[in-house]
Amino acid sequence: MKPSRRSLFQFAGGAVAGALFTPAPWRLITDTALWSENWPGIPRPRRGEIRAKFTHCALCTAGCAVRARCVGEQPVSLAGVSGGLCPFGLAAHHLPYHPARLKQGSASEAAAEVARHGTQGIALLDLNPGRTASWAYRRTMQAINGTYLAEPEPFAVDLRGVKTLLSFGVPVLDGWGNPANVFAARGSFHLIQVEPIESSTGVLADEWIPVAPGHESVISQAILRSLQQGNPSGLARQLVDNGPSAVLGDLPEIPEINRLLGAYGKIVVARPEAPVPESWKKSAASVTRLADLPDNSVRVLLIDEASAVDYIPWHRIARKLVRENPLVVTFTATRGGYARYANHAIPAAVYPEILDDIAPPNDRIAASFRLSVPLVTPPAGMANLAEFAGALAGVQASNSLRERVGEIHRLGQGTLLTYADGKETPLRDLPGDDFWRALNAGGEWVGEPSRTDPPSLQPAPVPSAESTGDLPLVAIAQPHNPPGSPIMTKLYQESNLRLAPNRIALSPADARAAGVRNGGRAVLQTRLGKCGVEVTVDPAVPEGSVRVGASPGIQDVCGPAARAKVVSA
Amino acid sequence: MSTETSKKAAGRYGMTIDIDRCNGCGSCMVACAVENNVPPAESGATDRTGITWIRVFQIDNGGRGAEKRSAFIPMLCQHCGDAPCVSVCPQQAIDVNPVTGIVEQMPERCLGCRYCMVACPYHARYFNWWDPAWPAGMEKTLNPDVAPRMRGVVEKCNFCHGRWHAAKQAGTSDSLSAYVPACAEACPTRAIRFGNLDAPAADVALGSQDPDSFRLLESIDTDPKIYYRSKKKWVREAANAPRPGKETPRG
Amino acid sequence: MASQIDRCFITRGLQRCSTSRFLLWIAPWTAMLIFGLYCAGLCLLKGLNQTNMDNRYAFGLWIFLDLTVIALGAGAFFTGFLLYILKFKELKAVINSAVVIGLVCYSGAMGVLMVDVGQPLRAWFTFWYPNVHSMLTEVTFCISCYLTVLAIEYLPIVLKNRKLREVPGFLVFEFELHKLIFVLAGVGTFLSFFHQGSLGGLYGVLRGRPFAFREGIFVWPSTFFLFILSAAAVGPSFIILTTSLVEAITKKRLVKQRAFDLLARISGLLLSVYVLAKALDTLIWINRTSPGRGFLASQYYDWKPFGTWILFTEIVLCGLVPALILLAPRLRAHRVWMVSAAALACSGVALNRFVQTVQTLALPTLSFDKFLSYTPSWQETGTFLAVTAYGVLVYSFSFRYFQIFPEERELKAAQVIEPEVEEPVSAGRY
Repeated sequence: MKPSRRSLFQFAGGAVAGALFTPAPWRLITDTALWSENWPGIPRPRRGEIRAKFTHCALCTAGCAVRARCVGEQPVSLAGVSGGLCPFGLAAHHLPYHPARLKQGSASEAAAEVARHGTQGIALLDLNPGRTASWAYRRTMQAINGTYLAEPEPFAVDLRGVKTLLSFGVPVLDGWGNPANVFAARGSFHLIQVEPIESSTGVLADEWIPVAPGHESVISQAILRSLQQGNPSGLARQLVDNGPSAVLGDLPEIPEINRLLGAYGKIVVARPEAPVPESWKKSAASVTRLADLPDNSVRVLLIDEASAVDYIPWHRIARKLVRENPLVVTFTATRGGYARYANHAIPAAVYPEILDDIAPPNDRIAASFRLSVPLVTPPAGMANLAEFAGALAGVQASNSLRERVGEIHRLGQGTLLTYADGKETPLRDLPGDDFWRALNAGGEWVGEPSRTDPPSLQPAPVPSAESTGDLPLVAIAQPHNPPGSPIMTKLYQESNLRLAPNRIALSPADARAAGVRNGGRAVLQTRLGKCGVEVTVDPAVPEGSVRVGASPGIQDVCGPAARAKVVSA
Repeated sequence: MSTETSKKAAGRYGMTIDIDRCNGCGSCMVACAVENNVPPAESGATDRTGITWIRVFQIDNGGRGAEKRSAFIPMLCQHCGDAPCVSVCPQQAIDVNPVTGIVEQMPERCLGCRYCMVACPYHARYFNWWDPAWPAGMEKTLNPDVAPRMRGVVEKCNFCHGRWHAAKQAGTSDSLSAYVPACAEACPTRAIRFGNLDAPAADVALGSQDPDSFRLLESIDTDPKIYYRSKKKWVREAANAPRPGKETPRG
Repeated sequence: MASQIDRCFITRGLQRCSTSRFLLWIAPWTAMLIFGLYCAGLCLLKGLNQTNMDNRYAFGLWIFLDLTVIALGAGAFFTGFLLYILKFKELKAVINSAVVIGLVCYSGAMGVLMVDVGQPLRAWFTFWYPNVHSMLTEVTFCISCYLTVLAIEYLPIVLKNRKLREVPGFLVFEFELHKLIFVLAGVGTFLSFFHQGSLGGLYGVLRGRPFAFREGIFVWPSTFFLFILSAAAVGPSFIILTTSLVEAITKKRLVKQRAFDLLARISGLLLSVYVLAKALDTLIWINRTSPGRGFLASQYYDWKPFGTWILFTEIVLCGLVPALILLAPRLRAHRVWMVSAAALACSGVALNRFVQTVQTLALPTLSFDKFLSYTPSWQETGTFLAVTAYGVLVYSFSFRYFQIFPEERELKAAQVIEPEVEEPVSAGRY
């Protein structure tokens, strides 16, 4: 019997109706939904036991206490223990995975070449001075007659003791100090911010005084004269009448102004350091500033860039190198800094991979000792300059931290703060091993406050005013920022909150004159060279100025108040 | 006009944001992205196609030279009591949580029609124009309490709802009272404060009644739960003004 | 040989151009379609970052396009309503064409919507988890249903093809279907009423966008009714426009003047009512609704380039003027005036949809917002071109092989036609 068309339709219809009563179509529907919710390629976060680990942030000398929320051993978020962290510190656990991270480079090859060059005319540039590792470098350089180079900042400021604070462009409220400290003390001082563009600090300052870029010294010289004449007026009057006052900034008049205001020894003190073994002090090379080094005198330069808290433009370093065949070896975590110029760039570990201590901060007048504790394992092949240099000089550096902690404990002063339980313990009451363990678990040792006058430093030479020529714009430099996670695009690219390191900002009129548009590419030209940049058009930038980001590339060609020109790429 | 969305929630979590304390550091923005598994921007992304559940804008008083002063305003989902977005979603991917008052977005249900983005006057909603991509190895740092989204769906602030869930699961009254979104926790100046607007003693409840407090776009009756505060008259006027200003602000 | 087969499908008694000329005609449109499909493919594969839409311009060219073609394709339901329910017999001349245009508009819109959403595989979620409060749910349901209705209405046109009607089953099916045509027309009208309205309601309910927000009746804002009115008014105009275009391209007379006349009169009448309603609504909005939300209406028009000229153009130049032209018997009798008025009316509706979509999003809401501009990317434009090409191709095939214009044969007999190159008639068949 041949099935008729009708029976075929009947069967089909019945089958469809019947299928609706089975789980099949409903399952298919749910599966499609699930399938469209879980595309391959979307990572699934790993699960595991949630733990808290404590450490200190090593991105800058503020050294904020950090509580890391970890899944198993992997930190997934960071938070400040006693207050907020800066945006760089909040995402620092991403740094080990930064795509621009340097991963290749052979320390043994570099060592061999250093051996070939010999250690005559060797110098070591430490871009994060004040750490225990810095002492190891000084001891190493002493042992091989080398020079230890650093740009020390030997001042600390007592924010709780100051009533009027005059800042020449220093980012007091955004990146200068430990945010928790600064904002805890904020209510007690009147802040006057002098700068060309209103920064984050300027927005919250009590007074904001705009000044043409490069002309800050007009104001500082006026204040100095006013104080010296004994008849202060204007800003000087304000500083004298509403003391204790202090002035922050790197203008040459400022140390004398602070001395005249009586800030030295009270508000502005010598930056205190945790105790150091005497044997180290005796066997350490002195600290030499780059500017004080004769030109063309360095044959071999070792650079510790791995935890740099600042960037020195390359031309200032390059002029100190011998003309014939210098050797530069840099220990760095990024391809973007001195790796561009060095003969050897050796990959180094980053925060939070290594155990290191944090240099003394600029907003605390009590000595402190804090460790940045490793939260993740560094990748294979990372090298360490302290060991590298130590090997050259036969100086044992690997146990420095333990030795230093031993010395602090021996002197028995100060208090240990532990964050996991919120306790303060006098050091006297702790055995040495417990002290070491507590520091490795994120604790902090705090010593007595210092009231020593800071050392009088010859002010750093001010770059001479440049002739205008055909460079119509004056650069307004950004303060140096710590290395940022890839997520910093939130602040640089997905919003206009901060100027990305490789960007410049121009007023609309200047942008039109230069023929560049918002988001476009351009070339920043100065007398020192050129740098490819991206452009932001920002009406808040005064005409005749260009706000420049803080990337090494830009800093190499463009210093503060340098004259520049922008042309389209 | 139909306003079925004004369901009364048992709790009303909200915030007070003190504009006079905000220095535009951006810690809130970074903490939010870290907590909520928001990926870094694709290379072609701009400030109009990026994902910033909380975003800090800069406004100024229109002055020139020394007269010019700025202020920073963090913008995030206002968790409106009468949310314009809830009623417009064709597949009920948006809901007001009856217990917390949080306006929740379900990326798994979202079709990506973006109607809710058109409806939101606070521009608090963000679309995944790209598939999320993290640099190699960085996916290890993802927060297990939050599901990463795929492309083509809308997402927005949910007051770190994963944290509320975790606090509820922990079960102690301490854990729930310690519940705070990542932005409020990260803010170094304590400009952002979070709490239950209905608890009379809470910081936020008191802050919301401060005479210097205001809410954005009050005239359109969305009943937002974010109270901004500033002692500066120009800030209150500029931020509250229904008339868009002619100057082009940053942020 | 191929042209012989081709000839067999062309309706007896009608004259169509040679196969090679037809291929020449469809070649550029096919190329455009392929390019457009490539653009759409890029958007589907790589994601919507291929467009220039962004978080502030969540709706762009495609939504504007969707709204416009759906308004223009309203001729389908409205002509059906007028013919089958109100019994305006003259419109029998254009109903098939209207159905094809409607089908093309709605299926094109659906195609673009599938590319426009971020997760097209979840399209069925609206049917599974519908939100009764959302205008977009209503739109989705009604448009899907109406597309089905249009497909069913298109079927008889296809089945009446010279070759296909040789299959007895098809002939019977088509005959039976025609009995239900007034049911289909009724359902189509009902569905269209609601979705045309809901498309307007999409914007009118936006409490967060004072520029678009309107008061209304119960849950329906005034834009609900205005959209229905404007769609009904412009549907006939679009039919006038397309029919005139086809007549001009094919150099044939396809429709009697009385059909044009009726369409023009209806369009003019509805357009006048619409202009009145729109003017009233605008006045209410300027004086009550918008200030009541805290926004002065004048401030919307301070942002260049969207000055008050837009309002004037939409309501007066592209609304009142074509209405008056179409209502004037002496003017509408002339092809040029009629077609110009129809074109103005269609432009007016397109402008209205543009204002609702693009201008709403361009305008700032927060005091620290900026006024933003948007230009579609080439991928977006390409997808739009794909819809246009698709429309032209479907219409061209329908015109060539189906009897879209029942009055064509009659009109052909009544006039001198251009001599055509004779193709050999295949043996044994006529």
